[in-house]
Amino acid sequence: MDYKNVLKELVGIPAVSGFENVSGARIKSLMVGKCDEIMIDSFYNVIGLKKGNGDNRKKIMISAHYDEIGFLVKSIDDKGFIKLTSMGGFDPKILLAQEVLIHGTREIEGIIGAKPPHLLTPEETKTAVKLVDLSVDTGMEASEVKKIVSIGDIVTLKVPFLELQGGKVSTKSLDNRSGVAATIGIMNELNDKTLKNDIYFVATTQEEVGLRGAEVSSYNIDPDIAIVIDACHGDMPDCSKDFTYPLGKGPAIGIGPNLHKKLTKKLFDIAKRNGVLCQTDVEPGNTGTEAWAIQVSRSGVPTALISIPLRYMHTGTETLDIADIESSVKLVSLFLAALDDEMEETV
Amino acid sequence: MFELIKNLTDKFGVSGNEEEIREFIKGEIKSKVDSIEVDALGNLIATKKGNGKKIMVAAHMDEIGVMATHIDEKGFIRFSNIGWVSQNYSLGQRVRFKNGTIGTVFFEEKLDDLKSLKLSNLYIDIGAKNSEEAQKKVNIGDTAAFCGPAELAGDMIISKALDDRSGCAVLIETIKNLPKTDNEIYFVFTVQEELGLRGAKTAAFRILPDFAIAVDVTLTGDTPDCKTMEVKCGMGPAIKIKDGSVVCHNDVRKLLTETAKKLNLPIQYEILERGGSDPGAIHLTAGGIPSGAISIPCRYTHSPSEMASISDIDNAVKLLKESLIG
Repeated sequence: MDYKNVLKELVGIPAVSGFENVSGARIKSLMVGKCDEIMIDSFYNVIGLKKGNGDNRKKIMISAHYDEIGFLVKSIDDKGFIKLTSMGGFDPKILLAQEVLIHGTREIEGIIGAKPPHLLTPEETKTAVKLVDLSVDTGMEASEVKKIVSIGDIVTLKVPFLELQGGKVSTKSLDNRSGVAATIGIMNELNDKTLKNDIYFVATTQEEVGLRGAEVSSYNIDPDIAIVIDACHGDMPDCSKDFTYPLGKGPAIGIGPNLHKKLTKKLFDIAKRNGVLCQTDVEPGNTGTEAWAIQVSRSGVPTALISIPLRYMHTGTETLDIADIESSVKLVSLFLAALDDEMEETV
Repeated sequence: MFELIKNLTDKFGVSGNEEEIREFIKGEIKSKVDSIEVDALGNLIATKKGNGKKIMVAAHMDEIGVMATHIDEKGFIRFSNIGWVSQNYSLGQRVRFKNGTIGTVFFEEKLDDLKSLKLSNLYIDIGAKNSEEAQKKVNIGDTAAFCGPAELAGDMIISKALDDRSGCAVLIETIKNLPKTDNEIYFVFTVQEELGLRGAKTAAFRILPDFAIAVDVTLTGDTPDCKTMEVKCGMGPAIKIKDGSVVCHNDVRKLLTETAKKLNLPIQYEILERGGSDPGAIHLTAGGIPSGAISIPCRYTHSPSEMASISDIDNAVKLLKESLIG
C-alpha cells in the first residue's frame, strides 16, 4: 500500500472531535472491499468487520481514533472577527499567524492574526498568548461573516502535506490518522486470508475529548481482546528521552498496568520472531489513550497499545516516518494471524 | 410559572438528600403520567407510555449545599461543600439545614487577606451557646442549603437553586401540557448531578432510551466585564452544542433547532467551556445514547441569587413540548 497517499487522503478529511458526522462516510469508503461488513454507529465510529471461520472464535477489536483536535466558532464580533474555542488540546502559541478553514454553510479560509512586534507591549513579548486573545480574520464584514458562519461551526488548521527527506511526512492530524492508515493497511494485508477469529477494525471518534468513541464502541462490540493504535512522542531536540521515541525504529509497544501482560508479551515475541522493528513504551499509569477506556469496558478487556512515534504532536507540523506505519501494519497483521493457533497462551 | 419556580426553589434538595423536593415534584405530576417510580439512587422517573421512540427527558432536582463536619465547643459549625460551592459567594449568606435550623456563614476575622479565603476559614453560626446546644439541632453529616427565596425582578427571577429547579419547572409544565404522543417519554428528575452527574448515569442505564434531552441552566456572557460567551438572558433558551462533558449529538441538536424554527421561537447556541451536565453521563451509557440539551441562560450560577428570565423558561417549555410531539 502507498501509505503516503492514504495519509494524504485521511488528513484531508475534517473530523473535529464530536463533529465526525460529516466524515464517517469518507472513512468508511477507505475500508470498502477490505472486510465483510462496515457499520457506522450512533457515535460515528466506523466499524469494519472481518469475519472468522473458527468454531470458538473470539472477537478482536483494533481501535484507532480518527477524530482530530480543532476548534469551534465561539463568537463573532461587530467587526467580523471570530473567536474560537478549542476541541482538544492546542498550545495557543502555535496558532499565531496560522491559516484556518471555517466549515460554515460553505468552506471559507481565514487567518489567525498576530499582533506585529512593533505593537507588542514589553509584557506581551514575555508572556505566551492565550486562545481568548486570538481572532480569526476572514476579510469579511460581520454581516457577511454571519451569512456563512454560525456559532458552533467547526474550524480546522489549513496546512500543506509536506514530504520531507528520508521517508518522513509532516502535516496536521497525523495523530491519529497514522493509526487509521495502519488499520486500513492491516485490513489490506489480511484481505486475502481467512482467519479463525472475528476482527473488528474500528476507526473511533471523540478520543481527543475523553476517549468517548472507544468507550461506547468497546461496550457495543464487547471484544475478547483489544489492540489500540495511536501516536506517541517522537524524539525531538530538547525533550526528555524518557517520553520520546526515535522515528524509523518501529512502533512503541506499551507496557504497564493499563495493558495486558500476556497480550503485550505476545506482541514483543511476534516482533522478535519475525524481525519487525519495535520499541518499548513504559506507561506507569494512565496511557492517555483509548486503552484506558477499553480496558475497563463491561467486565474488562485484555488490551494492548501500539504507538507510532510522532514529532510535534498537536501542531500543524506533526512529523512521522512512513516506515513506522509499515512496521505497525506488519506487527499487528502477524499478531492477528498468530492468534489462530496461539490464542490460549495470549489471554 | 413564577409561583411554580418559587415553590420548587424553596424545597430542600442538597445532593444526596433530595426527599423533600422529590415529594413536591411527585405531587405536581403524578396525576398527569402513566407511571411514576423512584429508583435506587432516588431519581424520580415519570413515564408517559407509548409505542414510538423511547425518549429520556432529564432535569436534576438536587442543589449544591454544605455538610457539617465539625462542631466546636462554642457551638460553631465547620463544613464541607456538596458540589461546587464558592467561598466568596458563601460569605455572609444564610443556610438552612434540613430540619429547618438556620445559620449564618461567616469567616475567621483575623484573616487579613480575603483573597486567600478558603471554605475552611468559614463557619456556620446557628446561635447556639455551646457544643451541646448546637448538637441538639445539628449533627455532623447533616446537610444545609443556602437561603435565597425567589423574587421577581421584571422578566427576571432571582433565587437560589434555579440550577436546576428552573429545568424541573420546564419538565413539570411540559408534563402538564403535553398532548398524547406515540412516543414513550421518561421524565427523569435526577439526583446527585452536582456531585458528578451520578443520578443521570443510572437512570439512563435503566431506561436505555433512543435519545435524551436534558434541561439545565448555562452560564451567560451578558454581565459587566465578564468572559466572552454568546449566551444572554432573555434572548431565548439555548441549544447546547458542547460543554466539558459532552458534545451534543447532531441529530438531537437538529431536532431542537428545527423545532424552534418551526415555532419561530428565539433560540441561542451554547458553547460552555467549563463544567458538565447530565447529558455527559447519559450519552456514554451502555454503548452510546444520542443526547442533547436545552439550556436556560442563568447569571450568577451557584450563588444564592441566581438570575434567569421567565420568558426564556416559558420558551424552553414550548421548545421541549413540540420536540417531544414531533
